[in-house]
Parts: sequence; C-alpha cells; structure tokens
Amino acid sequence: MVLKNMNDLKRLVEGGPRKKLVLAAANDQHSLGAVIRAWKENIIDPILVGDEEEIHKICASNNYDITGIKITNEPNIEKSVETAVKIASGKQADILMKGKIGSATLLRCVLNKEWGLRTGNLLSHFALFEVETYKKVIAVTDVAMNIAPTLHDKIAIVNNSVACLNRLGYKMPKVAVLGAVEMVNENMQATLDAALLSKMNQREQIKNCIIDGPLAFDNAVSLESAQLKGIKSEVAGDTDLLLMPDIEVGNVLYKSLVFFAKAKVASIILGAMVPIVLTSRSDSEQAKFDSILLAAAASR
Amino acid sequence: MLALNKKHRIAVAWAQDNNTLGAINKAVKKGFIEAILIGKPDEIRKTCKDEGIDENNFTLLESDSENQASAEAVRLAKTGEADIVMKGLVGTDKFLKAIMDKEKGLMLQNAVLSYVCALEIPAYHKLLFITDTAVIPFPDLDQKVAMARYAIEMAQKFGIEKPRIALIGASEKMSRHFENSVDYSIMCKMADRNQIQNCIMDGPLDIFLACDKKSLEIKGVESPVNGEADILLFPSLESSNPFYKGLMLFAQGELAGLLRGTEKPVIVMSRSESEISKYYCIALSCLMA
Repeated sequence: MVLKNMNDLKRLVEGGPRKKLVLAAANDQHSLGAVIRAWKENIIDPILVGDEEEIHKICASNNYDITGIKITNEPNIEKSVETAVKIASGKQADILMKGKIGSATLLRCVLNKEWGLRTGNLLSHFALFEVETYKKVIAVTDVAMNIAPTLHDKIAIVNNSVACLNRLGYKMPKVAVLGAVEMVNENMQATLDAALLSKMNQREQIKNCIIDGPLAFDNAVSLESAQLKGIKSEVAGDTDLLLMPDIEVGNVLYKSLVFFAKAKVASIILGAMVPIVLTSRSDSEQAKFDSILLAAAASR
Repeated sequence: MLALNKKHRIAVAWAQDNNTLGAINKAVKKGFIEAILIGKPDEIRKTCKDEGIDENNFTLLESDSENQASAEAVRLAKTGEADIVMKGLVGTDKFLKAIMDKEKGLMLQNAVLSYVCALEIPAYHKLLFITDTAVIPFPDLDQKVAMARYAIEMAQKFGIEKPRIALIGASEKMSRHFENSVDYSIMCKMADRNQIQNCIMDGPLDIFLACDKKSLEIKGVESPVNGEADILLFPSLESSNPFYKGLMLFAQGELAGLLRGTEKPVIVMSRSESEISKYYCIALSCLMA
C-alpha cells in the first residue's frame, strides 16, 4: 500500500472516522483557516481553545462560517495552551495543533510531567513530501527537532516514523539511512550509524521496516544511480523514508524540496501521546491543510 | 592435503628440538621442502642421532644465540635464500622481535601482524579457519578487517572461492554496549558494499548460529552464513585461543597455522605442539608461499 501523492493521503483519511483536533491559542489568523477548511471537508472535528471574542473577529473578517464549532474560551495564552494539552492528554482530542503561540512554549506544555503528553519516547519531526519527480510520497526525518541525534536517538526517530508509516498503510516501509557516501568510512559517523541501524534491523531489533545505509541521496531515490555504483540494496531507488544524519542537512533538504522542486509537504511531531501540528507563518495554506491530513491519518 | 610442484626452502631458527626436526624431516622426505637449520650444530646433530634422522637431509648453519638465529633466518628470507621462515625452540617474543624489526624485519609495509589457522575436527564437515589465535589480544576495527581479509585469502588458497565468515560473539544482537558487536555490524556493511571482498559475511553470531544450521531455525535467525561457516573471527585472543585448544584437547582437532602480514610465510608454533601439527604448518606455509 503506497501513497503516490497528497490526494492519496486525503482519500486515506476520508475513508475513516473524523478525528478530534484541539487548536491551542486558537485566536490565530494563520492556523484557523486550515482548521476550518479541514472541518468543512469532514476531516476533523475542531475544538478551538483561546480568546473567543478574537476568534469570532478573525472568522468574521475572513468570512469563515463557524456555526456549530466547539470553542472553549480562554483569553490567557499560556492557560489556553495548558487547557488544550489537557484536552488531548485527557483523551478528548486525537490531534494537538499550535495556534498563536511559539513552538517552544507549546512543547514545554506537551512535556509537562503532570498533565502533558509524554510517552517516554523521544519527540521527533516527520515530514511527508509529494515531489513531482519521484514516483511516490517520500518521508524525511528529522528536519526540525533533533539537532545532532546519537545512535540511540536515531533508533527512536526511526521507530516513531515507521510506526507512523505503518498507520498510513505501509507494512514494511523502506528506510534509507543517508550519508554523503554509500561506503562505510571510519571518519564519517553517519556511515557507521547506518551500518549499525542496518544490522539492528536485520536482527529484528528495529522492526516493521527494511533499513539500508549508508546511501547517498542519489542512491536512495534513483535505482539507476544505485546500479551504476554497483550497490546491492533492497531500499535503493525505492525509499519511503529518508533518515537524515543531522538537522542541518535535513532542514536544507526540506527547504530545497519546497523552494526548488516545488514540493508539497505535510509535517507533524511524533512521539507524544497524539500527533502535533506545528505549522509556522511561512507555511503555505496547502501545507497547513496537508499537515492536518497527515495528523489525522497518523493518529490512532 | 596438497600436491606441490615446487620445493620451498625453509630457514628454521634455533632448530634443535625433536618435534621441529621430526616435522622438517618428514616434509623433506615427502619432497616439498629443503631445510636450512640455524642453531648449535652439535645439539642439532645429537637430536638427529637420537631420533634416527639423517643430518645430511639438511643444511646446518651455526648460530650461538636465539636472537642471532632468528635474525639470520629473517635475513635469509629477505635475500631470497629462503622462501619460508620457521620458529624452532626460540621463545615467541624473541622470534617476533626479529620478524617485526623496522629495518631488517619481514613485515609488509603498514601491514597488520596477525595469525590464522586451519582446524580439522571430525565433528565438522569441513575445515574451520580461525583467527586471531596467537597475536592480537584485543583487535580494533581495522585489525579485525585485516584479520578477515587474511582468513579469506587463506581459505581461497584451499579452493574456497567465496568463504563464509562468521564474526563470533556471545549473541547475535547488535548492542552499543558491546564494542565488538558494533565493529561486526560495521564490517558486515563493508562486505555489503564490497569494501571487504570475496566472502559471505555475517555477525555478530554465536558459535551455534555460525556452525549449526538447526540452531538458526530454532532461534528464528536469518543468516547468509547459513550455519556453514568456513571462517570464525573472534573478538579477542582470550576467546579464540581457548576455543582452538579446547577443540584440540576434546574434539581431536588437528591444526595448521600461519603468521600473516609478512613478506614471506612465517611459521610460529608453540614449543609444546605436536610433530604432526608442525608438519601441517610446514605444508600450509608452502601452500601460501
């Protein structure tokens, strides 16, 4: 079961029940539009937590009809985030989304030991791309959250991402551990980590996926490139998930795909009790909507 | 074991013990070596007499010390007057000192000095090559890679084109707490990428998974070595050495081993090893020469 593009993702979600999405600090021009659209298209049931008066003002000026939408009035921003997180940790919502608040503040509440969304797992960023020149959607991790992941972190990041892909219908997603080269080089930690992750996968210490690496980017996405180099790999040319060695290269790849390849992207944070949508003002309207789709598909 | 069509010349350092002389003599009579015995001529002659060996089968070279005898044997190999060097009654430390001498020694440039042996045991259906049973106490990654390459090379000389090499540990799992399992995982990926060639490699594996197909089924482990290892690579001297000695003591094992990393083959056997083992080592060195 493979998703070729964002439309396939939409169809996957449309087939299922509506997920509940709680928007923290919902008096936010930038996130309301995407949430309301997802509501109107029967993807989600929103719970807006924030300054009610402001919410109505924003919707009025944008001509959003929000009759019947659930609003919990909380004018204080910090409190609205706390309330929203508690709604999610109280199992009253399947998705948490960030409104008019900094990511750091939201994540701090997510990690609250008493009422937060901790699972004991590492939190990681998961991005799903539709790129015209690749035959199917491709996931990339971790481009925004974990700066310099150790092997231990990479194991957690892979597990988060694979579990998400399993929920999207991928039984055994193919994971490419990226490096600058496809050969093992003692001076390149990324290649050593790749060898260890491959072996752990072989020994079923990391399950429900097929891992190979190190692979350079071209080997990962192009079978021809891999064959030219004489690489024997189940993953080369058929990658579903790219595991990035660190945040720098991950972030650059993400932005290159968006700016140069005009890719569509959906992003969520994994590893908490529910998927978290953390869109920013620079994201396109489509990206915000697609991120909600992804969160809906990825939530239990 | 082998059909050889050339006579190799062996220089033996401190050649006065009966095991060494017996083994050398047997090989000379079989016709695949000529021997240059370096040591105290009187003592050599005496041992020959006691063992009923004809001293005229050999060339005798006088030497008055173990160090000098070792140095002379190495010198002969360097000049080409000998093809193979063998340690006689001299201590291994003294002998290796001569081999490893920076100016006058026999080491290949930048090569890792290591040891591989071939073991024959009735309970296993083919030869088992084991490394490193004598030289490197705790091999790091680079040394393990060198050990693997030497063992593969030796197995190929025995006609095994693509030997199956099992990297031995106590478990088949990768754990970053066990440095060896980390090294092994890296080596397997190197083999995948053809950075270590001409082999089918897997590890970490325990001995059962390496040599017994049934245990793969029982444990539900998939391994390209398939329980039919040709080569066992050990994480340390203290694991490989007791392993081969256990097999010799309890499983009627026969052994032939060789130093690797040298310009010419070097035979190093413990003074307590049997004559037949020494004979096999001589034969092995000729195969590898």
